[in-house]
Amino acid sequence: METFIAERIKEVKKGNVQAFEDVVSFYQNKVYFVCFRMIGNSQEAEDLAQEAFIRAYTNIESFDEKRKFSTWLYRIATNLTIDRIRKKKPDYHLDADIKGTDGLSMHDQLATDEALPEEQVENLELRGYIQREITALPPIYRSVIVLRFLEELSLQEIAEVLDMPVGTVKTRIHRGREILRKKLRNV
Amino acid sequence: MKCDNDMIYLMHKYLDESLTEEEQRILGNHLQRCEECQEHFHELKRADTLASDKTGVTASSSFTNRVMSELPRNRKRTTWIQ
Repeated sequence: METFIAERIKEVKKGNVQAFEDVVSFYQNKVYFVCFRMIGNSQEAEDLAQEAFIRAYTNIESFDEKRKFSTWLYRIATNLTIDRIRKKKPDYHLDADIKGTDGLSMHDQLATDEALPEEQVENLELRGYIQREITALPPIYRSVIVLRFLEELSLQEIAEVLDMPVGTVKTRIHRGREILRKKLRNV
Repeated sequence: MKCDNDMIYLMHKYLDESLTEEEQRILGNHLQRCEECQEHFHELKRADTLASDKTGVTASSSFTNRVMSELPRNRKRTTWIQ
């Protein structure tokens, strides 16, 4: 897959816009996962992930082909999301959490107005709860541990994405994981 | 061996897939004897599994099309302002 992506990137650099479609389609869910786990809101995650791909495309000339494309792409996505978290002001639009719904947004509720089998409801609630606890992690642990949860990057690669020493990556993953252990032990 | 932070450190190393064979043996032996650490280890693994679950965390079906339609038409002539 790495080779396929590397070839597509070469094509994009030559001016073949369509080649970028394969890149987006291959990475969309991975980039979305990182943005969503960090920001905790589906609409914002979608916007951030899209912006990340647009920036990657626009800046493709500065991508060094000796490096791994995915590391570069996750770096763009993570930086955009960290910036958004820093600038975030409280807001009360459709995706805002509703009190007592464990992280489920009004958006989700509107989308699920049909009765769901009990198990699915429980899953939704559980997923909302897990997401809320991840979003509640201090930002310095959140980006590191979310990249780990992607289950695709080595600790060394996470260190490259976030531009920090691998020792710091390890420590933050361990601390973040301990916080989540305590929060999720009873679910 | 007393179950202290060393054992917890090994559990994290296990989850980071960076345990050496020797460490794996030490952790394995300890877990067989210590219920408290078994519980801790179980909870750590569970937190990792739950948070890594990708079910339902996917981009919308129109994602790729939307990105493609929003790309600047001529990348080479675009000046990107950060």
